[in-house]
Amino acid sequence: MSEFIFPYVEETNFLKNLRLEVREFIKKIFKKNFITPSPDAWVFGANTDFSKQLGKKGWLGMSFPKKYGGHERSMLERYVVTEELLVSGAPVAAHWIADRQSGSQILRFGTEEQKKDIIPKITSGECYFAIGMSEPDSGSDLASVKTNAEKTSTGWKLNGRKIWSTGAHLAHYMIVLVRTAPQLENNRHSGLSQFLVDLSLPGVTINGIEDMTGQKHFNETIFDGVQLKKEALLGKEGEGWKQVVGELALERSGPERFLSHFVLLDNFINEFRSKISDLGQTALGKIISELQTLRAMSFSIASMIEKGQSPETQAAFVKELGNAFEKQLVETIREMSNLIPFNKWSPGLKSLFEDATLRIPSNSLRGGTSEIMKGIISKQLGLR
Amino acid sequence: MSAEIKIFFEIAEKIFSKKIDHTVRINNSYDNRKFVELLNELKKSELTKILMKEEFGGANLCLGEIVPLIKLSSKYGLPLPFSETIIANYILSELNVKPLNDFSTLCYETSNITIVDNKVSGVFKSVPYLNLTNFILAKINFNNHHHLIYFENKSGKLTQLKNFLAEPRFDLKIENEELIYFLDLPYMINFENLISNIKSIQSVGAMEKILELCIKYCSDRKQFGRSLSKFQMIQNHISEIALETAASGASIAIFQNQSKNKELNENFFDLKNTAIAKIRTGLASGKIIAASHQAHGAMGFTKEYELSYFTKNLNSWRNDFGNETYWQNILGEMFLKQNKGMWEFLNQ
Repeated sequence: MSEFIFPYVEETNFLKNLRLEVREFIKKIFKKNFITPSPDAWVFGANTDFSKQLGKKGWLGMSFPKKYGGHERSMLERYVVTEELLVSGAPVAAHWIADRQSGSQILRFGTEEQKKDIIPKITSGECYFAIGMSEPDSGSDLASVKTNAEKTSTGWKLNGRKIWSTGAHLAHYMIVLVRTAPQLENNRHSGLSQFLVDLSLPGVTINGIEDMTGQKHFNETIFDGVQLKKEALLGKEGEGWKQVVGELALERSGPERFLSHFVLLDNFINEFRSKISDLGQTALGKIISELQTLRAMSFSIASMIEKGQSPETQAAFVKELGNAFEKQLVETIREMSNLIPFNKWSPGLKSLFEDATLRIPSNSLRGGTSEIMKGIISKQLGLR
Repeated sequence: MSAEIKIFFEIAEKIFSKKIDHTVRINNSYDNRKFVELLNELKKSELTKILMKEEFGGANLCLGEIVPLIKLSSKYGLPLPFSETIIANYILSELNVKPLNDFSTLCYETSNITIVDNKVSGVFKSVPYLNLTNFILAKINFNNHHHLIYFENKSGKLTQLKNFLAEPRFDLKIENEELIYFLDLPYMINFENLISNIKSIQSVGAMEKILELCIKYCSDRKQFGRSLSKFQMIQNHISEIALETAASGASIAIFQNQSKNKELNENFFDLKNTAIAKIRTGLASGKIIAASHQAHGAMGFTKEYELSYFTKNLNSWRNDFGNETYWQNILGEMFLKQNKGMWEFLNQ
């Protein structure tokens, strides 16, 4: 396959009005609760009160079934809400992973009990999730995970370590990819299963890892003989790889892959609009073109997911192009300030720029590295 | 793709796959029997009439529907003024005059134009395919008004331009050629924007072909005991081409959607979306040209092998009607002038 099509999906007036509603809500709540926008807020900006407010508005678990507390709204509506939250730099990190992928994963593979127990808490903004995929010795090579679960008379015993789990220190649950059987010689993706692990159980230790910005948003999680009930298995035993691949389409295709630092761009323009040089004007044209194209691609994927398709490869396209765009965006903002020395920037803008500069190396690492994305694309092109 | 355009698409693919090979592309002259066969088959197919009104013998399709067909023609490297004829026929038909049953070409840049007694004189610059057709639809500025003229070049002086283009282009100097049509250019037809969109669409077709060529060449050719495609650096080049091609495709899809109604309106040639597509495809072209030649090694640098035909076209189209920087400047200025926030501008 060498052709990857992203059909154009038009934004209806209904969606445009939803945008305005979200924008108005954010404006009010920022003012009332003295919230300031931050870049990369889906990773760094946790505010549980804000998450609960979103839950009350019906903007979490938007596409989930009503019988589990969801709202049965379309993925396109969810997309619009997500974009508005990202560009405003709203503190969405607490609920982000639960709303984006863990809830959907439970709905697809979970038992009725799991759905009834957990989904309503996700939609109300009270239950948070972390991702348990990478390990100290298994980064990009996810199939080599060593964390294992052994069957016991009452369920499973979990041992091992997961790493780089964003927000695990705030999360109530982690969906953990573990080995439940030895790898078959001819299928390295065999013998893996997913578990829904309550992080308050005995034997779970979460250690924050300070990143290069000095913040502790990601974590190492140790599972030391954690006793899990039989019901903690998510989906089918041995089908963990298949399940996890589907989850990645949700993880990689969204607008957070190219709107994480929009706040910086917006603030820069607002502060220096009249001082932007010809060079800056030209740079803005490039940003607009690339951004609108990425939005069209990501929106197109939301429509594919809405139709029940599994666009994992298309998601890799958006992630790779989006990450490259954002890296360049921060660099371009530096270049656009050719007439405005750094010491003339307001403290707020300076802080946004410094945060973005320090955080940007992680964008092409988290959620699958650039090399992995290009590997996925190469495989689809028949090169591997 | 609508059922109707699907039929035309299939007809076109049948003709292109049967009649176009690289020898036809690099020798598109009346001396080449294969080329003449292609020309005749295309004339017979009436594909160039698909946008024309039914009363003129056309299929009356919407402008946006031609995107797959234009892409296909450039993917096959069709060495004819195919898109030019479709657009000329479309505009003439929309202006309620009957197009001719022949290939036409387009001209956008002229100088010293005079019109006396329905006869035109002047210089027509960088006109494609004047080696194959004499019929020209040109936009001119005459008496401080924009007009369209349609005429046959019978005795003008042709100068072939020396440049890197795969598509042949000429400067033409004429004196007192009889006009077939002299038309007012309605405000809603932005000729340059329309053709810029066509260039973006053509570019995506060439990109798709380049991607296919890279996959095939690098899978077939072995070095150090294995296919080139097994080397990660080569995979990196080819996946880069796939990424840029996909993004370019998404940028032209906006035009395809915008022009889905039959009724002619100014949205067809919306400046903002034209700029977005021209910038995105132009940026992608630069990366794709570099990566595809790198993946092919010296073979891609030869005239005999087909890669260079497509990279030359990409180079040509990315520079036509303003390169990326030209359009970036327009788009950036448009944003700054509106005095709106970036997000508001993007969501207009």
